[in-house]
Amino acid sequence: MLVLAVLGVFLSRLLTNYPGARGAPSSTEVALARKLRSWSMPRSARSAKNPFSPSAALLQESARHFADHCASCHGNDGSGATEMGRNLFPRVPDMRSDATQRLSDGELYYVIHNGVRWTGMPAWGDPENDMDSWKLVLFIRHLPHMTPQELHDMERYNPKSVADQEEEKEEEEFLNGGPAPAAPSTHKFPSEKRK
Amino acid sequence: MKKTALILSTTILLSALAFAHGNLAHILGTVVAVTDHSVSVKTADGTVKEVAFDTETHFLKSGSPATARDVVVGSRVVIHAHQNGEKFHAAEIKIGTTTAAQHP
Repeated sequence: MLVLAVLGVFLSRLLTNYPGARGAPSSTEVALARKLRSWSMPRSARSAKNPFSPSAALLQESARHFADHCASCHGNDGSGATEMGRNLFPRVPDMRSDATQRLSDGELYYVIHNGVRWTGMPAWGDPENDMDSWKLVLFIRHLPHMTPQELHDMERYNPKSVADQEEEKEEEEFLNGGPAPAAPSTHKFPSEKRK
Repeated sequence: MKKTALILSTTILLSALAFAHGNLAHILGTVVAVTDHSVSVKTADGTVKEVAFDTETHFLKSGSPATARDVVVGSRVVIHAHQNGEKFHAAEIKIGTTTAAQHP
């Protein structure tokens, strides 16, 4: 009875304080969600070893893969400071932080490969043979050490709409001495630049 | 019971998923003034816009990382900035390879 009462008060406060996705999850919610995720993960998955070792070529390949598939929410730098990352509920985590970096390789792979229920994280890769997600684990380990040059290289692989591409071309021409684009010099743009 | 309660509460907590759409203003023009924290840009319509920057702002020149010191009066710039009312804060500043002196 006491448990039900506490749960009732807890849920009531949550629904009152966070009517939508605007508010950030409380530390209690975050702790509960992480505990649930941990419980749902088989022990064998947590202890699984990455079949790949980091190398310059693999890091570049996985960085470009990340830029194309993951950066819309996570940002090229893994900070989660993107339009979607800041507004998803729960928030997209900063993968450079201890909370992510202290997960085992197997746990990181499990999250990428299977996704996380009730969040914005989908399941990625071939269900039977998913080597790309193991390579992404290498990249996630590298996130705290990204260089500006690596981040710049990734920008070329971020998905862009036709309008984005045309505008980027016009801006480059302007920077190289061409005429200013016909559009107003200050205007709204539909998609936020990814970091 | 405890585990069921946790699963139930977490299910309710995490079931909401929403997307929001934001915008960055694009400001193109020629630099008319620079300080340690802002750049003033004269745009094609003749207006001057002051845009703040900080350590989070990305500077690029010819596709390579640059710094605030590369922004000089007369440079052409393309700035992607967050807008709050009439105030702008730069997320990225691209610096041109030509200056007003070369292209009056």
